[in-house]
Parts: sequence; C-alpha cells; structure tokens
Amino acid sequence: MSVVERRRSPLLRDEVTLVELVDRVLNKGVVVTGDITLSVADVDLVYVGLRLLLASAATLEEQREGK
Amino acid sequence: MIEAPAGTAWYVYGVAEDDPALERLDAVELIRQGNLVAIVREVPLEEYDEAVLPERLNDREWLERNARAHEDVLQGAAAVTAVVPLRFGTIYRSPEHVVEMLGERAGEFAENLQRVRGHVELGVKAWVDLSALEQTLAAGDQPVAGGGAGAAYLQQRAQQQERSRELSDRLTELAEEAHRRLSAVAAADVVNRPQPRELTGRSEAMLLNGAYLVPEGDDRLRNEVEQLAAEHAGLGVEYELTGPWPPHNFTGEQS
Repeated sequence: MSVVERRRSPLLRDEVTLVELVDRVLNKGVVVTGDITLSVADVDLVYVGLRLLLASAATLEEQREGK
Repeated sequence: MIEAPAGTAWYVYGVAEDDPALERLDAVELIRQGNLVAIVREVPLEEYDEAVLPERLNDREWLERNARAHEDVLQGAAAVTAVVPLRFGTIYRSPEHVVEMLGERAGEFAENLQRVRGHVELGVKAWVDLSALEQTLAAGDQPVAGGGAGAAYLQQRAQQQERSRELSDRLTELAEEAHRRLSAVAAADVVNRPQPRELTGRSEAMLLNGAYLVPEGDDRLRNEVEQLAAEHAGLGVEYELTGPWPPHNFTGEQS
C-alpha cells in the first residue's frame, strides 16, 4: 500500500515538514486584527525565504556530492 | 542607566470552548469572555515588533521554533476541547484587547466551534511520478507500422502528442476523482493549491493538496485513501496522509 502516513505524534514531529507547518500555521486560521498581525506580504516573504533556504540547501548538497 | 520597561504582548494561539482541562496546558494563559477562552502566552513585544517581524520570519530557526510552538499549543488544546486556530502572529498589547476581540467576534467563534466540535482535520496529498505515468501510457501505443522512416516519425510524433494530452487529462481526472471520493466521507473539505516542487523538494509533482474535516475516530477517510492508493499505485501515484491537525483549514470565511 503506498500511503505514506505522517502522524503528528510528538515522537514523529520532525516528520511534519516546515513547509507543511507553515502552510497551515501561517496561511490558515482565523484572521483577527490584533494590535500586531502578519500581513500577506510577510507571509509571501516567508515563502520566498523558504525557497531560498531550500534552494541553497540543495546547492550545498550538490556541491558535496560533486566532490 | 535608564532602561525602557520591557514591553509585554499577548500572543493568541486560538479560541476554545471553555473547559476545565485547558488549565492543564503548559506555559499558556487563558483569557475568558463568556464561554469563550483565548489561549495566550505572554511574549516580549520586541520579539514580534512589526519592524523586525519580516526579518524574523525569514530566520528559519526562529520560524520553525515558533511555528511548532503555535502548532503544539493548538494541538494540546484540541486534544481537550473544540478550538478555533488563529493565524500565526496575532498579538495584542494588553489582555483587555483580547477580551474586546472575543466579545466582538463571539458569534463567529461560536459558529466555527460548532462546526469543528468533535472533528479533526486530515491532510491528503497525492504525488505523481510523471515519468512512470508516461511510461504506463506509452505502453498502450500502437507499434509503429511500416511505410518508411518519414511516416514512422510522423506516427510516433502524433502518438507522443496524443500521450501528453492524455497525460494531462488523466492527471486532472485522478485529482478530481480522489477529491470527490474523499469529500464524500468528510464533513467539510478544502482544496489548496499544490505546493511547488521548489518548496516540497521532491521530484514528484503534487497532484492534490486537500484538507478534510472528519469526525474524531472515524476511519472512513483513511480507508478511502488506502483504497485510492491501491487503485492508483500502478500509475505511479502515491498518497500521503497527514494529521490529525487542529482545524486550521476549517475556520469559516477566509481570504
């Protein structure tokens, strides 16, 4: 059976990727106007940041493999 | 030396139905208004200052620590009572402001709590290995008939074009079928945009990124995912089930 299950038990918490978490925690949930709230621009910045981080991690790995 | 008074803020994780068991949650405070409870934590204001927030959000370590903390608090609360998650980074400068917010939005929170009570959110992603699927479809091609190299080339090209049309139709069908079957066993459903490969870091393409609200302890969705996985395995499609999550995707009207 090719179902990959990623349960959110404390033991397996690392299984939930940061992307998955960010997708829910920063992108969903009720928006109420606090005294300080994230703007959409901030969330977009997170995605840009994650992309850069992931891209740089991939580059690093390639460099390592290339050696 | 004069020090500015340490600014304190109240970070709101979510709003729950009041329940004595909430008192047992670690490291959070409860702010009550009517039968609603805001689950909050006192945080240094400087941590979430608007001037530094964008920078902090791009600090992976900071983001991960705080996003997980947000999730952990909600998970703890959801384990004992109905909870409506608030978006990450909702901050008030005083508990009185939190009370005001609860009062102003009481009706909406009550509706949301009613919807999610006794339910959990499950995430389902379908991934497709495009090269495997192309091969499967190519296996159905007619062997190229005689008639010279030119005719064979044209026939091959026509088959390739046909195949790529077929491929994209088939993928759309698969995603629609999966979502239809999963929605049929869910109380509510949301289809999110598939995450791009540069974010997932996987070679497979994300075909479906769905969230489903299901009654606690109800295995029908899980079984349906297994059934879909068995049926679609031959096409190079893999399913991934995540959760149970607090109901992030089911909090009413959203942008």
